[in-house]
Amino acid sequence: MVGILNKIHSTLPESIPGLLDSVRPMLHSCQITCAAMAALIPPSQFWRWKEMWTNSLRTAIFSAALVEFLATGKLISLPEVCQILGIKDEWKGRFALPVEDYLHGLISLVNELSRLAVNAVTLGNFEAPIQISIFVKDLFAGFSMLNLKNDTLRRRFDSLKYDLKKIEEVVYDVSLRKLAPPPQGGRQI
Amino acid sequence: MGAHRENVVKAFDEFRQEIDEHHDRRERLIKISRDATNLSKKVIFLLHRTMTEESNNDSNPSLRVVRRGREKLREVQALYAQIRFEVQAEQFWQYHRAVSPGLQEYIEALGFAHYLEHGTMVSYEEVQLSLSDENGIPYFTLPKEDYLLGLSDVTGELMRFAISGIAQKGGRARAREVCAFVRQCKADFERLTPYVKELSKKQAVTSQSLEKIEDAVYAIVVRGSEYDIPPDMLDDLIAQSISTFSSNTSAKTRLGQIDVRRGDDYDEI
Repeated sequence: MVGILNKIHSTLPESIPGLLDSVRPMLHSCQITCAAMAALIPPSQFWRWKEMWTNSLRTAIFSAALVEFLATGKLISLPEVCQILGIKDEWKGRFALPVEDYLHGLISLVNELSRLAVNAVTLGNFEAPIQISIFVKDLFAGFSMLNLKNDTLRRRFDSLKYDLKKIEEVVYDVSLRKLAPPPQGGRQI
Repeated sequence: MGAHRENVVKAFDEFRQEIDEHHDRRERLIKISRDATNLSKKVIFLLHRTMTEESNNDSNPSLRVVRRGREKLREVQALYAQIRFEVQAEQFWQYHRAVSPGLQEYIEALGFAHYLEHGTMVSYEEVQLSLSDENGIPYFTLPKEDYLLGLSDVTGELMRFAISGIAQKGGRARAREVCAFVRQCKADFERLTPYVKELSKKQAVTSQSLEKIEDAVYAIVVRGSEYDIPPDMLDDLIAQSISTFSSNTSAKTRLGQIDVRRGDDYDEI
């Protein structure tokens, strides 16, 4: 899934929807896995076993968020991820999607988007970096609102600013050379 | 795009609340767990101290000592009663790592007291019952892992108990009892090591403790065999020599010194 999504870096905007369509079935196949796990976990013991699949789950969240962004340009919400992965509310206590994992998935998304901003320009898509920049800034504003402890989430959050910087630089390069129409107001005039 | 940011901010506002709540609860539990650890440690020391003090002038001191220990343990139980609503259902496992150390220490103290009273290991049901309200409803389900790891620590306390009490009346017989008991514990725990993480580490500590007790018991047997007198008389002899020498050195060196002194005294007689 992540392998295929890697192709976004070398796919022209026109063919992105086709690429996404090929990923979606795989994303939906996670529903079967999630259901199988939920059936295995005894009531109230979700947190006991959670670490066994945390990484895979975060990757799935990341994929879902990336697909959503590429398709609509919007941030996927936690309930939407649950829906895509087929995680049901009534499994609470046995299987759920913790906020922490969702946020980890979003940070992976930002990491990936900073790469995409560079590669989009290489492919001649000069608008993408600006779109990404606005999206990531919104996300960063959201993350800044959290009171994080000194855990992995915090460390990964700290890495966000480098991604932000990288994207900013791309936007700067692009707008300096007037390769793209200026964002927001410019397009409306 | 402005609407987008608003949505993000709204969503993250909720996350913030959830994360804050989570951290606060975790901090509270860690604090209580630490209190439980400290109290339990105090109980263990209390048991050791009073056992060595009182066994000199009382034939069966353990009951009284244990009663005092158990009173103290009730404070720990009260702590766990406090957090029962914080660790309902699936939340218990979410915060398991925050409460586990305190829980193990509590089980160690309880297990030690139980041994002093009954000479046996405290059962899982008894521990669980001690962590229940007056209607027998558990505050939370005690994990078997913590129960086992707590018990494994008891062997260390028993080692200290056996060796520091070896110079007292009946201390040598008791050391042999403890030795046999710890040996049995080690054997019984061995087969559970694949199932419980960390238990193998504790097993290594148990082995060390066992070895120390075995060495002490060996010394008693070898040196005791040099004198053809009944154990009771030996007890009196040693008590006599101790009353002339009161040393505050550690348990291990004390053992060595007593052996030397015993020889000296015998020569004089």
